[in-house]
Amino acid sequence: MSGTIATLPLRVALAGNPNTGKTTLFNTLCGLRAKTSNYPGTTTAIRVGAAAHGADSRLEVIDLPGLYDLAGNTPESTVAAKVLDSPVNPCDVVVVVIDACNLARNLVLTAELLAQRRRVVVALNMMDVARARGITLDVDALSAQLHTPVVPIVARRREGLDALRRAIEQAAYTEPMVPAGLPADATNLDALMSWADQVAARVIEASPTPARADVLTEHIDRYVTHPIHGLVVFILVMCGLFWTLFTLASVPMNIIEALFGQLGTTISNVLPAGPVRDLLAQGIIGGLSGTVVFLPQIMLLFFLISLLEDSGYLARAAFVMDGRLARFGLPGQAFVPLLTAHACAIPGIMSARLIPNWRDRLVTILVAPFMSCSARLPVYVLLISLLFPDPKWAAVAFAGCYALGGMAGLLTARLFGSTALKGTARPMVLELPPYRLPSMMNAVLAAKDQGLAFLRTAGTVIMAICIVMWWLSSYPRVAPPAEAETLRAQAAAMPAGDAQSQVQQQADLIEAKAAQAGSFVGRFGHLAQPVFAPLGFDWQLTVGIATSFLAREVFVSTMSVLEGGSGATDVDEGVVSRIRGMTRADGTALFTTSTAAAALVFFVLAMQCLPTLAVTRRETGSIKYAAIQLAYMSVLAYCVATLVHYGLTTAGFP
Amino acid sequence: MPVTLAPQTQKLTDLEVGATARMLDAAVDTELRTLLRALGLTDNSTLRVCKRGEPCVVQVRATRIGISGRIAQHITVVRDQDMKIVPDQAVRVVPDSAGSAPLPAAR
Repeated sequence: MSGTIATLPLRVALAGNPNTGKTTLFNTLCGLRAKTSNYPGTTTAIRVGAAAHGADSRLEVIDLPGLYDLAGNTPESTVAAKVLDSPVNPCDVVVVVIDACNLARNLVLTAELLAQRRRVVVALNMMDVARARGITLDVDALSAQLHTPVVPIVARRREGLDALRRAIEQAAYTEPMVPAGLPADATNLDALMSWADQVAARVIEASPTPARADVLTEHIDRYVTHPIHGLVVFILVMCGLFWTLFTLASVPMNIIEALFGQLGTTISNVLPAGPVRDLLAQGIIGGLSGTVVFLPQIMLLFFLISLLEDSGYLARAAFVMDGRLARFGLPGQAFVPLLTAHACAIPGIMSARLIPNWRDRLVTILVAPFMSCSARLPVYVLLISLLFPDPKWAAVAFAGCYALGGMAGLLTARLFGSTALKGTARPMVLELPPYRLPSMMNAVLAAKDQGLAFLRTAGTVIMAICIVMWWLSSYPRVAPPAEAETLRAQAAAMPAGDAQSQVQQQADLIEAKAAQAGSFVGRFGHLAQPVFAPLGFDWQLTVGIATSFLAREVFVSTMSVLEGGSGATDVDEGVVSRIRGMTRADGTALFTTSTAAAALVFFVLAMQCLPTLAVTRRETGSIKYAAIQLAYMSVLAYCVATLVHYGLTTAGFP
Repeated sequence: MPVTLAPQTQKLTDLEVGATARMLDAAVDTELRTLLRALGLTDNSTLRVCKRGEPCVVQVRATRIGISGRIAQHITVVRDQDMKIVPDQAVRVVPDSAGSAPLPAAR
């Protein structure tokens, strides 16, 4: 073994309980040179990075998921065991990161690793905090008790890292020893804990009076986990979070949209007209723009979540929401994905990783797209404007849409919990870490990781979906209608000026309408119309539903094009009044009260976002759950919208 | 001659803030019991109640643990003042089976 170690980088696994500063140590060692990926076949993330070590050698560092012990049958401990014992690439040394303020409990994992005769180095982290709390630790005595090197460090301030690297190298060439007195059955947590208590008692001298920080933490906790005060703090923190998110993210989002817009225009001007130009300018650039635009929101969200998590507040907030969400079979931590999904279901589903229990995480992922995302907003504005010209009632209807989506999500969680995903949300038991100043480095790296993960999906599956949807709504090309040809001939004969361009524009609109109707999606609309007839939809509305699978806001531009207007997605008064005037084939009004209400309810409940399905598939590791999500939401939306249409027409509404 | 008193067992939810007690049992499923153990709530571990209600917050060694009331009510403890230590210094807790309510069945 030693012969290979000299030439290959040492493979070092970082293990440790949650909240011990393990991630901070990993980030300090590896910086940006780290990759995050799910362990093959699981949804548990591990990070691998390279750390400089001396002049010409380096360490390969693997950040294992935070875990309390190896005995528990959790996904984290299973993955940790697989990484440590990888037949292809086993770890040379395990660095156990220990919170110096909480030695005894952290020693259990150390004991398990030592009992397995692994080469272990103990990194005693947060020594500064321990000193401030009046805890004195005899590092040499601890090392003697464990028969393994113990290095005091302060990862946040990069203290002790050189000594740690040296200890790792030494340990790699030393035969491991099992400490004397270690319980024979190293899987019995009670025995290990009592051994750890004894070891801790021999090496720690703690001040008998509680530290001021602990007293303060206790006071703050009573307030922030209080059923009423805690809720007020929670609402304030969440308002702050989302305000920051939307305010700050809008700047780069506008820049990205403008850049892609410019790029599309440049390509259109440079390339000759034809299918290649259309594919590049509309399909690829359009598809990229539509997805990459969410990148700032996703990165900023994970940056802010990391700050909240590091500060210690997130664990408290989870308890505030636990009782409220438990009624619906959801865990307290689900509030982050559910609130985030109101911006966009994609980051919402991604943030469900915060939920430790797999069943709870899955239920949250499945119901997250019920939350009214920002892409539904233009559709709500359009349909509510058609239904309620009075702004007061429009506001009530808006709130109603959000409430309907939220309730549908919560009730679905309850339904899944009592049927397919049987079980109630696990009542919460959670460590409440001490309040700390959050680490900027951790937050930046978390944002980078999640941003890259999103881009990997956006750059592959989501872009493919966008291109296919664009192709389906643009092809096959149809010959321009005779009416448009006539108008063009008229325009050609006219003197150049406003009148001529008006006629040309009219010809363009007629052509666009014919192209939309003649495309695959348009033909599908005609074909599928009988299915949507119970909702009061004609072929045009059915086409609108079909095209909105690309992104919901496309519904507005589709309806506008079908009406004979431009393809703008902004809902202004002109668009509303033009769409209000749309008629069916028999000349009657299309958007009657019952049809518009059915369409609105359909949009609140339906799963019309293929990119979200791609993310569901990635986060659940199975296409099955994406299919369930699509089928369940579509069927529910169809049934409720049919009921609404039937109810309103029966009640005498047009 | 060892003397072991029969201490009064209580639910964790019955303790007042500031009380210290020893963990006796948790009538919860194995997965939750393992999690409680992993967080340091092993048999006989000393805990201090930091907050009552929802959630119940206890401190075990240096760890503060938030416990949902739905779990806390299934945790049985023995108050520190109700403990007697037998002369051989080993801590043995004997629940007062006649005086305490039967534990809820494990789910």
